[in-house]
Amino acid sequence: MEYAIDVENVSITYKCVKSRSIKKSLFSFKKSDVQLVEAVRDVSFRIPQGEIVGIVGKNGSGKSTMLRAIAGIFTPDSGTIDLHGHSISLLAIGVGFQKALTGRENIMLTGTLLGFSEKYMFEKMDEIIEFAELGKFIDMPVKTYSSGMFSKLSFSITANLKTDIMLVDEVLSVGDAKFKKKSYEKMKELISDEKRTVVIVSHNMDTLKKLCSRIIWLHDGELKMYGEVQKVLDAYIEFMDK
Amino acid sequence: MKRFFMDTKKFSQYLVYATKSELKSEVANSRLSWLWWILDPLLFMLVYTFISLIVFQKGMPYFPVFVFIGLTIWNFFNKTVQTSVKLVKINSAIVSKIYVPKYIFIMKQMLINGFKMCISFILVFFLMLIYRVPLDWRFIYVVPLLATLFVVTFGVSTIMLHIGVFIDDLSNVVSVLLRLLFYMSGVFYSIENSGIPDPFGTLIQTMNPIACIMQGMRNALLYGEDFHFIAIGCWFVGGIFISLIGVNIIYKNENSYVKVM
Repeated sequence: MEYAIDVENVSITYKCVKSRSIKKSLFSFKKSDVQLVEAVRDVSFRIPQGEIVGIVGKNGSGKSTMLRAIAGIFTPDSGTIDLHGHSISLLAIGVGFQKALTGRENIMLTGTLLGFSEKYMFEKMDEIIEFAELGKFIDMPVKTYSSGMFSKLSFSITANLKTDIMLVDEVLSVGDAKFKKKSYEKMKELISDEKRTVVIVSHNMDTLKKLCSRIIWLHDGELKMYGEVQKVLDAYIEFMDK
Repeated sequence: MKRFFMDTKKFSQYLVYATKSELKSEVANSRLSWLWWILDPLLFMLVYTFISLIVFQKGMPYFPVFVFIGLTIWNFFNKTVQTSVKLVKINSAIVSKIYVPKYIFIMKQMLINGFKMCISFILVFFLMLIYRVPLDWRFIYVVPLLATLFVVTFGVSTIMLHIGVFIDDLSNVVSVLLRLLFYMSGVFYSIENSGIPDPFGTLIQTMNPIACIMQGMRNALLYGEDFHFIAIGCWFVGGIFISLIGVNIIYKNENSYVKVM
């Protein structure tokens, strides 16, 4: 079996290096008031190519940290993450939008930032705009958008720019009921591609049950369970009800 | 090194597009829009010319052009370094969602300020026509001088960007230091003719890259003289050296920048 993501013994510690003022750096003798927060502790798992994996866990259990580490936004303090050369994108609400620019320009910016060429983006532009259903707002500055429009735009950008691995951070429930259904259909379409690997973080058990083929359960930064959807979710729900 | 060029190439399209859209949004947000790119240096030139000629009664041949060239170079350096301190914070929305080599933001800033500098240089050219400055073949010296300015600015900015992440009020210190540098660079006076006693005069002139570049630029464009080859050469090499260190530091630490915010 070919693997898309290999996570081995990964630990991530937030050092809480608060940025400090010069006065403090000069005059405080306590040098190490650095607080260590272990967000992820010694986690290993492998995700085969083409699988849809959900991550569950209560708030603050290290789910988003894990996703960001996989996306390469920060390196783990120990352990390794191997993507086997696949391209990757993290879908989260409001990816680096520039508020003063229009939706159209922001699509361009995000696209080129993700490493797509300008030409490719021009081709994709209409598809993204159509999917986002923003109407005339697409040529207005992003700062005029409502939060729903904001996430609709960011969802349609990442959903239409296809990378080998897609990381989805709790954005399946954006927009109104109609858009929700549409984005759910889109997710399914993306997933139906056998080569694409998707990792979803969500609190919505229904969505996870319908979409995923495996579930990872993180608890306080540790891997509690990894396996079949029904089994893990049942255990998780039972645990949370206690 | 190799990674630096690969990454820069990979993000070059983003750089170009981001620069364009940033300039565009700047235009869209102000009433006189792009006119400010011309008005700003022009008005400041008038201020400094007034102070030097009327208040201090000191001047140089083609004095307004002299000041204008100084301001053009100074603005580029000043604005880039000043913003580099806060760049990671300004771009936190991007930094926390997508991996970008952080020096890309500096390059973007340099492109934006570089574009404005180009406009300024076009104005310099017009001023030269108006003041009938004889054009010397030495005007091609502009190329090595600008190259030196770029590497020095980039190098200083990379280091500022790194420290700026961890120290909150660095920008206050940096503005004071930049102001000091401004007065020591001879933007609106000539260091040679200012009457600073000699060891110090030469020291300020050669140890300060901005003063060095400024003087070279004026010599090349206005007075048909050579620039200080050794000093500029040293600063060019020094600039590359600082840039190398800076890029290295950024590569090593950039993944922890997110954790600070």
